Amino acid sequence: MTEYLIRRVLQSVLVLFLITILTFALIHAAPGGPTQVFLAPGLSPEAAQIQAHNLGLDQKVYIQYLKWIGGLLQGDLGHTFKNHIPVGDILWPTVKNTMILMAAAWLLSLIIAIPWGIYNSTKEYGFSDQTSNFISYLGFAMPTFWFGIILQQTFAMKLDILPLSDMYDMDKQGDIGNLMLHLVLPVTVLSLGFLAGYVKYSRASMLEVLNQDYIRTARAKGLKERKVVFRHALRNALIPIITILGIDLPILVGGAALTESVFNWPGMGRLFVEMAVSREYSVLMSITLVVSVLVVIGNLVADILYAVVDPRVQYGRGGGSAA
Amino acid sequence: MAEKILEIRNLTTGFLTDQGMVKATDRVSLDLEKGKTLCVVGESGSGKSVTALSVMRLIDYAGGIITEGEVLFNGQDLIGMRQQDMLNIRGNRITMIFQDPMSALNPVFTVGEQIAESLRTHKKLTSKEAWRQSVEMLRRVRMPDPEIRARQYPYEMSGGMCQRVVIAMALACNPELLIADEPTTALDVTVQAQILELLLQLKKEFRMSMLLITHDMGVAAEVADRIAVMYAGAVVEEGTVAEIFERPRHPYTIGLLKSIPGLEGERGGELYTITGSIPPMSKIPSGCRFHPRCTYAMDVCRTNEPPLSQSLTGHKAACWLDDTGADDPRPAKPNNREAKVTIGTRPEVTQP
Amino acid sequence: MSDSKVQPAASGFNDKTAQGIPMGMPSPAVEPPPSGPWKTSAKKFMHNPFAVTGLVILIFFILAALLAHWIAPYDPTRIDMMFPNLPAGSEGHLLGTDELGRDIFSRLLYSSRISLTVGFSVAFVSVVIGTLIGALSGYFGGWVDTIAMRLVDVMYSIPTLFLNILILAIFGSKASYMIWILALTSWMGVARLVRGNYLQLREMQYVEAAKAIGVSDWRIIFGHLLRNSSAPIIVTATLMVGGAILSESALSYLGLGIQTPNTSWGLMLSNAQEFMLTDPLQALYPGLCILIVVLAVNFIGDGIRDAMDPRKTTIPRRRLDQWRKKFSKSGI
Repeated sequence: MTEYLIRRVLQSVLVLFLITILTFALIHAAPGGPTQVFLAPGLSPEAAQIQAHNLGLDQKVYIQYLKWIGGLLQGDLGHTFKNHIPVGDILWPTVKNTMILMAAAWLLSLIIAIPWGIYNSTKEYGFSDQTSNFISYLGFAMPTFWFGIILQQTFAMKLDILPLSDMYDMDKQGDIGNLMLHLVLPVTVLSLGFLAGYVKYSRASMLEVLNQDYIRTARAKGLKERKVVFRHALRNALIPIITILGIDLPILVGGAALTESVFNWPGMGRLFVEMAVSREYSVLMSITLVVSVLVVIGNLVADILYAVVDPRVQYGRGGGSAA
Repeated sequence: MAEKILEIRNLTTGFLTDQGMVKATDRVSLDLEKGKTLCVVGESGSGKSVTALSVMRLIDYAGGIITEGEVLFNGQDLIGMRQQDMLNIRGNRITMIFQDPMSALNPVFTVGEQIAESLRTHKKLTSKEAWRQSVEMLRRVRMPDPEIRARQYPYEMSGGMCQRVVIAMALACNPELLIADEPTTALDVTVQAQILELLLQLKKEFRMSMLLITHDMGVAAEVADRIAVMYAGAVVEEGTVAEIFERPRHPYTIGLLKSIPGLEGERGGELYTITGSIPPMSKIPSGCRFHPRCTYAMDVCRTNEPPLSQSLTGHKAACWLDDTGADDPRPAKPNNREAKVTIGTRPEVTQP
Repeated sequence: MSDSKVQPAASGFNDKTAQGIPMGMPSPAVEPPPSGPWKTSAKKFMHNPFAVTGLVILIFFILAALLAHWIAPYDPTRIDMMFPNLPAGSEGHLLGTDELGRDIFSRLLYSSRISLTVGFSVAFVSVVIGTLIGALSGYFGGWVDTIAMRLVDVMYSIPTLFLNILILAIFGSKASYMIWILALTSWMGVARLVRGNYLQLREMQYVEAAKAIGVSDWRIIFGHLLRNSSAPIIVTATLMVGGAILSESALSYLGLGIQTPNTSWGLMLSNAQEFMLTDPLQALYPGLCILIVVLAVNFIGDGIRDAMDPRKTTIPRRRLDQWRKKFSKSGI
C-alpha cells in the first residue's frame, strides 16, 4: 500500500511539473512573446524595456521559469496589471466559493445518482430506467448556461421565488439561510449535468458486474437476489465509479465556471472568465495552476480510495475496472 | 433399478434473438442415479452448459427461457418452482462448480469469507462457526495452510487453488448433487489431473451424485459411470462408459473417439477429424442434425429426425443406421479402437 | 494447417473440429456468409427509431446550414434600428428581431453553419490526432507509450474549459483558432481508447504473421489494426461532435469564441441574456437549437454503438417481455 501511495504521489508531482511547463510554454508561445503578454499595453518602448527588465523578462527562458516556480512555491502568484494587486488576494476567496458550490452540487447528484443507477440496473428498461435515460440525454445535450438562463427566467423573474444571481443578498452577507436560497438554482443546473453522467455510469458499471462469473457463483450459492446485488455486486461496481469521479473532476470544474458566470457566483470560474476578457495573464496562469492542483489532488484521492476498495490494486496486479 | 436423484425430461431451453426464439437445448432427457456420475460430453455450443444452468435455474438470469420439459430432483419438479423456493435447493442440495475458477470468485472478498457465506446462508451458522468450518473445508480439499489461505483474496492464488476454493464452497453444505461444468478446462494439464482426482475422492467422501460436463472424452472415461453425448443441443447417444467406448452407435460418437490422439503408436499418422463444424443453433439442419457432417448420411437423414432408441441394456442412440440388436450386454473389454468402427459394414435398417 | 495435423493436440476435440475442415472444400454445415457486419449494423441502425430521428434532424440542420444563404429572409448582420426587439410572429420576422433589429430567424440559420462546422471539424481533427497518438503508443509501447500517456495525464488534469479560455485569451478569438484549440484539448479520450485496442490487437497472431512476412510497422498500424478498431473510433467521433458544439457555444457565450459580426448560437444567447426581462423568448431559440442538434448527434452516436454491438438485439424490449411470458414454463 505504502509503495503504491508513494508511486502515485510521485506521479502526481510529475504531472504537476509538466502542467507548469505547459502553462509557461503557452505564454511564451503567444504572439509577441511574454513581453507582449505581461506588460500593460500602451507603454513607450523605453518604458517597456525597463518594465521588462524589472520583471526579469529579458533573462534566459529557463531562468525565468525557475524564478516563476520559485515564486509559486513561496505562494507568490504574481500581480495584476491593473492596480498591481497580488493575485493571491483576489484568488483565494473565490476558491472557497467555488468549493461550496461544487461540493453542494456534487454531493447532491451523487446521493441521487448512485442509488438510482443501481436500482435501474436491476430493473432494466423499466419506467425509472427510461426516465433516468431521458434525463441523461438532456443533461448531456443541454448547454448548462442555457439551462441556467431558463431557470433564472422561470424561478427568479416570472415566479420571483428565488434570487436571480450572486451568493448573498446585499444586506445579508454571510447569512447561511440566504446562501442556501442562492444555491438552489446554480446547484440545480450543475447537478443535472453531474447526475446525467453518474446515473449512466453507475447503471452501466452495475450491469457489467452483474454479468460477471462471480455473480453467477453467488446466485449458485442460493443467496437472495438482494444479497447478490448489494453484497457481491455493489462493491465491485463502485470501483470503476470512484475512478470516474476522479477523471471527471476537470469537466465538473469547467461546468462550474459556466454556471458561475451565469449566476454571477463569485468563484474561480467567473474570475477566470473576467480576467480572460481583460487579458490578465498572471491571474489566468495562477488559476489554471490552482485548478490543476485541485484536480490532481482529487485524482490522487480517488486512486487511494480505489486501492482501499479493491484489494488487487495494492499489489499492483489489478488495474482498470476490467481486471 | 437404483433410485434416481435427477431426471431431466424433454428439457428445451431457448434464447430470444433477432432471429426469434433459438433453442439451445432441444428435448434433452437425462437420468442420474443416486451416487453415480453422469458425464455430458460435447463440443462448445452443444448445449451442455445450458442444460446444467437450466437444472440450477440459473439460466433465468442469463436470459434463457425454459420452454418445455421438467427437471425432477428427487421426484420434485424444479422448473415450475419459484426462484424464491429454489434458494433452499440451490447452493445447498444442488451445488455447482464452474469452468474458470479465477473469475468465479468475487475479487473483493477473502476466500474464507466466500465459503463461510454459503454456510451462514444455508446452515444458519454463526460467523465464527462458519469461519471455522470453511477453514476445515479448505483442509478437506487439500489446500495447503488453510488458516492462512482462508484470509487471502482470490487474486493471490493460482488457478488450481482457486478451483479448490470453488469446490470447497460447493461442498460446504454437503450437497446431494454436484454439477461440475468443465471443472478442469481452464487449468494447466498437471493441475487438471489433481483436481479431477480430488473431485473423485470427495464424491466418495461426501456421498454425492455428480453431473460432470466436459468436452474431454478422456476425462469422461476416467470419472463417469454413464456418458451422454450431446450434439447441437440434443442428446445423440447415452450409455455406460463401456458401451460408449466399446460399442458406440452414433457416427458422431465414433468420430469423437477416433479423434482422441493416441499416446502410443500412430505417431506421424494423421489425426482423425470430423469434417465441418457444429452448426449455430439458429441454423439447425433438418432431419438428423448431424447429417451434413456425417460420412454415412442417407436420404432419410436429411428429412427425418431419428428417434433416440434404446437397447435392452439401456444404451440409447439417435441414428437411422443404428441397430439396437447389435448391442449385447457383454462385459467391457479393454479399449480397442480398431475394432470399434463397424458402422459402415452394418446392414441398413429399414426405414419406417 | 498441415502443421497442426501432425501435432498431437492436448485432449478433447474442440481444437480439431475447427482445424479439421479440409482445405478448399466448403463445409456444408457452415451457412453462407449472409451479409457483411457493416450491412448488418446498417440494418440495425435503421431499425432504431431514435437513431433515425437523430439522423433526420441532423440532415435537416445540415441542409439549413448549407442553404442558409437562400433560405434566410434577411442578411443576419443587417441592423435595423427602426424595429428592435420585435416579438415572434411580427410581420416579416418569423421569430422577431433582437436589440439591434437583426432578424433572429436568419441569425439562427447562419449560426448553424458555425456550430456544425466547428462540431465536425473538431471531431475530425481530434480523432485524427488521438488515433495517431493512441496507435503509436499502443503499438510500440515502451518510452513512446510512457511519454504519450503522461501527456494524456497532463491534458486530463487541466480543466478543458479553462485551458481553452486561457489559449483563446492569449492567441485571440477566431473561428479557425477555436477549432484547433478545441481539437488539441479533446483528443485524449480517443488516444486512450485506440491505445487500449492496439495493446490487445498487437498480441494477435495475425500481427505476428504480418511482421514475419515483412509487412512494415506502418502498414500494420494503419492498415490491419486501424480497420479492427474503427468501430469504437467512429462512435467516439460522433459523440465528440456534440461535445464540440457545446464547447463552442459555451466559449462564445462567455465572449471568447465567435465574435460579432459573425454569429453563433452561444453568442446569441449571451446577447439575449441581457434582454431577459423584456424578451425572454429570445434566449429560448438558440438554446433549443443547440439542445436539438446535440441530442440528434448523440442519438446517432448511441445508435451506431448499439448497431455495432453484436449483443444488442433490434427487438423492442416490450416484445421480448411478451415472448418471455409466452414461452417460459418456469416459475418466477
